[in-house]
Amino acid sequence: MSNRTSIKVALEIVGTVLMVVGALLIGAVLVVLSENNPIEAYQAMIAGAFGSKQKIAEVVVKLIPILIMSLGVSIAFKAQLWNIGAGGQFLMGSIVSVAIALYVPVPIWLRIPLSFAAAIVVGAGWAALAGWLKARFSANEVITTLMLNYIAHYLLLYLINGPMQDPYSDLSQTDVIPDGMRLTKLLGPTFRLHSGLFIMIAVVVLMIFFWRTTLGYRIDLTGQGEKVATYSGINVNRTVILTMGLSGGLIGLAGWIEIFGIQFRLLDGIAGGLGNTATIVALLGSLNVYGVIAAAIFFSALLCGGASMKRMTDVPYSVVDVIQGLIIIFVIAKNVVWDRCDPMKLFSKKKGYSQHAE
Amino acid sequence: MLSEILSIGFLTSLLAGTIRLATPILMPALGQIYTQRAGILNLGVEGTMLMASIIGFATVASGGGLWMGFLVGILAGAIFSLLMAWLSVTLRVNQVIAGIGMNVLATGLAAYVYRLLFGIRALPAKITSFQAVDLPGLSDIPCIGTVFFQHNVLVYLAFALVPFTWFVLEKTMFGLKIKMVGEHPRAADSKGISVTWIRYAAIVIGGAYAGAGGVFMTIAYLNMFTESVIGGFGYIAVSVVIFGRFDPYKAMSGALLFGFASALQVRLQALGSGIPSQLLLMLPYLMTIAALIFASKKAEFPSAYAIPYSRMER
Repeated sequence: MSNRTSIKVALEIVGTVLMVVGALLIGAVLVVLSENNPIEAYQAMIAGAFGSKQKIAEVVVKLIPILIMSLGVSIAFKAQLWNIGAGGQFLMGSIVSVAIALYVPVPIWLRIPLSFAAAIVVGAGWAALAGWLKARFSANEVITTLMLNYIAHYLLLYLINGPMQDPYSDLSQTDVIPDGMRLTKLLGPTFRLHSGLFIMIAVVVLMIFFWRTTLGYRIDLTGQGEKVATYSGINVNRTVILTMGLSGGLIGLAGWIEIFGIQFRLLDGIAGGLGNTATIVALLGSLNVYGVIAAAIFFSALLCGGASMKRMTDVPYSVVDVIQGLIIIFVIAKNVVWDRCDPMKLFSKKKGYSQHAE
Repeated sequence: MLSEILSIGFLTSLLAGTIRLATPILMPALGQIYTQRAGILNLGVEGTMLMASIIGFATVASGGGLWMGFLVGILAGAIFSLLMAWLSVTLRVNQVIAGIGMNVLATGLAAYVYRLLFGIRALPAKITSFQAVDLPGLSDIPCIGTVFFQHNVLVYLAFALVPFTWFVLEKTMFGLKIKMVGEHPRAADSKGISVTWIRYAAIVIGGAYAGAGGVFMTIAYLNMFTESVIGGFGYIAVSVVIFGRFDPYKAMSGALLFGFASALQVRLQALGSGIPSQLLLMLPYLMTIAALIFASKKAEFPSAYAIPYSRMER
């Protein structure tokens, strides 16, 4: 890394941090408007994220799906494929995991790998469907992935109120998966942190190397425009479908981990805002693996801290959502302004997010 | 079961529902025709509608009157869409990301505003919404009266906007400028047309229409606000524009098609058809995908679609 690029990366980081601070400041104004003390609110937030060993473990618990999903989203984004259907792909992965864990009549030890593989395949298929619609019919993937989110959500509601509902309960949820299938708790029974952490680490390591593989390079090239990719001899349509599939596969995997590590059953709201958060984290991290890791840690802490702030103070949780929205808008605005003011811009090959990826 | 579906009562309420539910898709879709014709893909319509729905609702709830609420909703839509204009025209950022950002922001802001104004409550705040206007003579005609003449005034307004929008786009100088900016911004620029201002105008007009559609949901269709009140209508509107090939009349057919899917879902549920309601609720979203399959290849997008314009770059 030359001196010049390291200055550029440093400037990039400083700018992003400034934008996040700006969003937090506007969040503080909203806290004041809701007649609360912003210092107390942010203190509650920090204490809620890092106040005890238990709290930190919860941040890591949250980090596992967020980081895996954001890495999944960033694969698609790198190819300029706007997969914002992470929520739906996560749900499809979760649904198939639970279905296999509960109903497939094979020994328990076999159901674990089976559901693991199925969650990846189904998540991949759900996303690749949008990729295929784009390649075959040039249907805008933003709209199709979003519509698939709604469809997955209603499918979940149907299943937990109908065929998959726990027969011994009136609640809209499935039965829990057997004890023997759950991921091991790493820090004893009082902590929720589970062995899904190792899967997350494996995914991160894979992703670091992924962009140096031929496939990673092909995806990156596809993101630089259809012409560039076609001239390089890439089958764009096939790459589009494959890229969406890879992206959705990782997200489906996150669904499996959440089921086997935390939820143990299907119920409404298991995806929470994870889909949106993954999208924001991918953008905030400039689609770069290390950037995404940093952004994912920040967001896990923000969400855990926000939930704790909601319990401890009267501050509405929606402030956290507003902060998330402001962060995206500030960061994309910053990228442009930074780019224009940057004397070294002549050295950057192209505009947009992918330029910051190594 | 089948005989119930084929009954006159079911059909009239289904068709009336089609028209009523087409309205919140038609209004934003018409607005997005301006925006998309000018070459801007504004996915922030969803968030724009949500902001308008809460602010217009709050105006009515605080005693401002229904028409005041409607106007404030339109204004809120126009103002919120200025953010999209600034991001996409002035800063020239990626329009897809800008739209996603706006929607996330609106989700938080709308919930925040609702909580701030109405507090935590067991039951949602309610207002008296726009009521169906009684047209003497017309409303009483059997069947036809029920289908066409028992709606509230905003429904009629939405359909009146169809020829109006067509006229503005096809018959006025302003409409011509919008199309030129979307097709060939450089040529427009060389003719002394300000690409920046025409695009700003097209986005803000689109926002105002979206605002009207959003506030319709809370003060004319329902009488309360929920965080999921828009439920994808903004995105559906964007696809209706593509499906309707950027033409107001075709967009109207598209909106009616979605109105039909939504109304069918509502009516079948009311009938207790035995089909689980959650599966019926998927209908409009499945249809959106079907519509995109059907339309995208044939749609002739404006040449400068979703491409920012800069004088400096070639």
